[in-house]
Amino acid sequence: MDTLMDPAVRTFVEVMEIWVPEGDRLVPGGGHYGSRSAFAEASRKTSFARGEGLPGKAWAEERPIVLKTFEGSYFQRTEAAAEAGLTSAVAIPVFAGRTLKAVLVVLCSDDADRFGAIEVWAENAGTLTLDDGYYGAARQFEEISQRTTFKRGQGLPGSVWSSKTPILMRDLGQGYGFMRSESAGRVGLNTGLGLPVPTPDGTIYALTLLTASGTPIARRFEIWDARAAKVGAPGKAVLTDGICDRTGPLWDFETDRMVAAWQGPVGRALGSGLPVIDTGAGAAGYASVVALPIHRGGELAHIVAWYC
Amino acid sequence: MQKLVVIGAGMASGRVLEHLFETAPDAYDVTLFNAEPRGNYNRLMLSPVLSGEKSYAEIVTHDDDWYSANGVTCRFGEAVVKIDRDRKVVVGQNGEVPYDKLVIGTGSAPFIIPLPGKDLPEVITYRDLDDTNAMIEAAARPGSRAVVIGGGLLGLEAAAGLRMRGMEVTVLHLMGHLMERQLDEAAGYLLKKDLEDRGITVLTRASTKAILGDGKVEAVLLEDETVLEADLVVMAVGIRPETRLAKDAALAVGRGVEVNAQMQTSDPDVLALGECVEFNGQLFGLVAPLYDQAKVVASTLLAEPAAFVTKELSTKLKVTGCDLFSAGDFAEAEDREDIVFRDPARGVYKRLVLKEDRLIGAVMYGDTADGSWFFGLIKDGTDVSEMRDTLIFGPAYQGGAAVDPLSAVAALPADAEICGCNGVCKGQIVTAIEGGATDLGMIRATTKASASCGTCTGLVEQVLAVTLGDDFVLPAAQSVCGCTDLTHEDVRRLIKSQALKSQPAVWQELGWSTPNGCHVCRPAINFYLLADWPLEYQDDPQSRFVNERNHANIQKDGTYSVMPRMFGGITTAAELRAIADAADKYNVPTVKVTGGQRIDLLGVKKEDLPGIWYDLNAAGMVSGHAYSKGLRTVKTCVGTDHCRFGTQDSTGLGIKLEKLLWGSWTPHKVKLAVSGCPRNCAEATCKDVGIICVDSGYQVGVGGAAGMDLKETERLCDVPTEEEALEVTAAFVQIYRENAKYLDRPYKWLAKVGLDWVKAQVVDDLENRRALAARFELSQTVYRKDPWAPLAAKAESFAPLADLTLEAAE
Repeated sequence: MDTLMDPAVRTFVEVMEIWVPEGDRLVPGGGHYGSRSAFAEASRKTSFARGEGLPGKAWAEERPIVLKTFEGSYFQRTEAAAEAGLTSAVAIPVFAGRTLKAVLVVLCSDDADRFGAIEVWAENAGTLTLDDGYYGAARQFEEISQRTTFKRGQGLPGSVWSSKTPILMRDLGQGYGFMRSESAGRVGLNTGLGLPVPTPDGTIYALTLLTASGTPIARRFEIWDARAAKVGAPGKAVLTDGICDRTGPLWDFETDRMVAAWQGPVGRALGSGLPVIDTGAGAAGYASVVALPIHRGGELAHIVAWYC
Repeated sequence: MQKLVVIGAGMASGRVLEHLFETAPDAYDVTLFNAEPRGNYNRLMLSPVLSGEKSYAEIVTHDDDWYSANGVTCRFGEAVVKIDRDRKVVVGQNGEVPYDKLVIGTGSAPFIIPLPGKDLPEVITYRDLDDTNAMIEAAARPGSRAVVIGGGLLGLEAAAGLRMRGMEVTVLHLMGHLMERQLDEAAGYLLKKDLEDRGITVLTRASTKAILGDGKVEAVLLEDETVLEADLVVMAVGIRPETRLAKDAALAVGRGVEVNAQMQTSDPDVLALGECVEFNGQLFGLVAPLYDQAKVVASTLLAEPAAFVTKELSTKLKVTGCDLFSAGDFAEAEDREDIVFRDPARGVYKRLVLKEDRLIGAVMYGDTADGSWFFGLIKDGTDVSEMRDTLIFGPAYQGGAAVDPLSAVAALPADAEICGCNGVCKGQIVTAIEGGATDLGMIRATTKASASCGTCTGLVEQVLAVTLGDDFVLPAAQSVCGCTDLTHEDVRRLIKSQALKSQPAVWQELGWSTPNGCHVCRPAINFYLLADWPLEYQDDPQSRFVNERNHANIQKDGTYSVMPRMFGGITTAAELRAIADAADKYNVPTVKVTGGQRIDLLGVKKEDLPGIWYDLNAAGMVSGHAYSKGLRTVKTCVGTDHCRFGTQDSTGLGIKLEKLLWGSWTPHKVKLAVSGCPRNCAEATCKDVGIICVDSGYQVGVGGAAGMDLKETERLCDVPTEEEALEVTAAFVQIYRENAKYLDRPYKWLAKVGLDWVKAQVVDDLENRRALAARFELSQTVYRKDPWAPLAAKAESFAPLADLTLEAAE
């Protein structure tokens, strides 16, 4: 039993949930709430109109949104969140062309020794600047990030922007590989997943998940390429990169690993074009997996999956 | 147990050991030498390590445990000094090891261009982990700049990795397009664009002269004297097999260590494989044949029959987000046929090369899904005649699909300018259509697009068709040629609005259906590009008609005519003497005074052209461009200097005009004349631009013709001064250059856009007139040059028919 052999770790993200459009509202589309059953229950009874609450705001503003204070904000489940110890959230809208497919929301708890980063970078006059980000206790890293900009092709966000593909970077804190590496290394940030967040008006957004081994956002990352230009036909995807705490590198230099539509959580994201959260067999022995589809020009282009 | 020594712990020799241990783990006692202080890792994945997308630990193929489990004695970090074949020992730095069988897998060494500065410490090659780490370290310095010499696979992967590390990166490539051995020009263009989108500067046709720096790299100097500041220089110009040990051991070595099909060298107990070997005259750099060789080496070591055969290879570039595939032979030749598919919106280019119903080459960019299927067809030599029509769409698409003729316009972004006159973008037209406009008239009324000169009408109609779908019937329009559905006007507009500055950019972004255009479109596109981007675009002589290529008009008997320029129809006795001498020297049968007031030497042999040009150049004369789509002559009358009716210095103005305009390329030939009074002795009223001098100044007429069509000029404007006459003429020629369809004389073009529009641009709008004249002058800084001069050569063996001086003396 792999799960039992792993030492217990506190994850950076506490709750992940999906909101899907139904008529003119966003309704629950599944989630991973862990032991926070009261918050889960509150969420199950909730729906959001366009512009309403965090998911509705991400829908209306057509961009990823970071919300670091619930109290007094437009966040609608403030009381339940407070009871569950949740203090911050990031909403990521999933658009296919002009159509909203879903909104993925991740919620985190504040903790003095919980390090990590979920960042939203936005293009501004030819460079990427930090739109906002949630960093847990990594305050100094947050300050450095606020002063950092990326040109096309530079660093993780700049590379995601110029290549239009998700990218998984290793060894963020090993003295190289990452423009904010020194600070990242100090707080133990070692792996970064960057992904483009397409929006209907074409504004460039890059989302980065930077994970530390002590309080990981995820312990396994996968990037799947689903473009017909790569795999020949819709409904298939090839694993282009991946790394796992337990099994090491997931990529294979000589043999392509493929998944077909509806096979496991990645296959379900591939088949439906919607994000998928699985807490069962599909999570490969981990507590949960999120498979997030990324559409380009209306076509499903990539799926990123993270397991924790 | 026999003793096996392996020199080099690379990927090929590593695969040999895997096969050996799987098949006969107890057959050999293995000692493995490696000059690097580490074992076998996947070198092909060094680029992702450089970029940060992989860690070194992930690319280790054989770790200490593996070597230990298989009983391999590792001598890592120890270079081999020599192979003593007589004693059958390998001598390492730390002592010798006997062998029964020896495998040489020394790989290759990077080629270093012998440039001044090549030994500076920050000049590195890209072969192993140490090189990779050196680059990573250099990139850690904020704001540092790298110059990568070599635009092949390795150079580009290094460039992309260094850019991801945050460096400012410039790639220098000697050839005209990147990865020219693996890609054709069209795919090379897309790759360059992709890299430039990553903030990498790519300079092609860039020859490095020196690496500058005092004790450390400071800059790179190019042959054209460009200086590029640099903190790091990566030299990735190629590799050569590492053969020193084999050569010293007196093994047969050509370009590489020579091996037979069993991978044995000239000594049967010594085998070799990988990048260090030569088999049937061929060297190897890609991994697939190396793995095939490894199987053969393992079999030979176990005395099992096996033979290495070479196979077709395909190429992959490991830069995240760059999808390219190339296999087989895709050089152009007469017995080959191309199938091309382009999708400008997705940046897709696919080209298949067929010969005798078989696929022999494939190049793909942006959509590589079917690469392995095409590769299979190439390897198997499959007859593809049955599926030829749908072949390009791959195995899943054998039902067929037509290339969308509107794809180029559909791919335009919303901010692409469609109507240059009124500054209307595609997005505004789409908004108007979404607001209810359903035809050209409504678009003109709501946006003013196509409401001035009208040359963008075709594009506006295509935007209507793209947006409205079946609700809009696209009027039939004359396309440039069979390579495209776009008209000349569409192409001109899009070259400007999309800033297309090269032929491959036009072919790709406008969805050309051929790899490089055809004899019809290439001259037109070449002209449009040089007219719109005089500084950025380099004239392509191969895209010119034969007369323009040869700088002389070919005559019906295969000889040429040579006509030096006589500015304003004025010559001198010295020039006439030089022309007469040239006529004698080259046995010119016919010397003709032309209607354009100059002298034509007819019947010159092609081989005499450089010589006659040389002699005429020596007398101060330049080409008269009597063969070009450009300025021909400025005919004049004698004017006030000699004529009692003359009102102005018509000859002087003619000379100034010709000195201003000569050398310029235009959509068709351009002839001018200046008459000194309304009696019009210079026949100015049937020229493309004709100026009549009057007491009050100059009457500038345009759009005359006296050929197949006969047409009098129309008055563009009257100007009081010579300076204005010159400026108006330059502005008119420039607006004609910027807007007319190739091979339309000015009168034909004026009939399309209307004289009123031209007047508004050239006469009424003074600022625009000056801007046009300034753009003309900018172009002339490049093209006001004698094309004969660089080709002229002194005739080597000229012997006069008779020594006239001597005769006279006698």
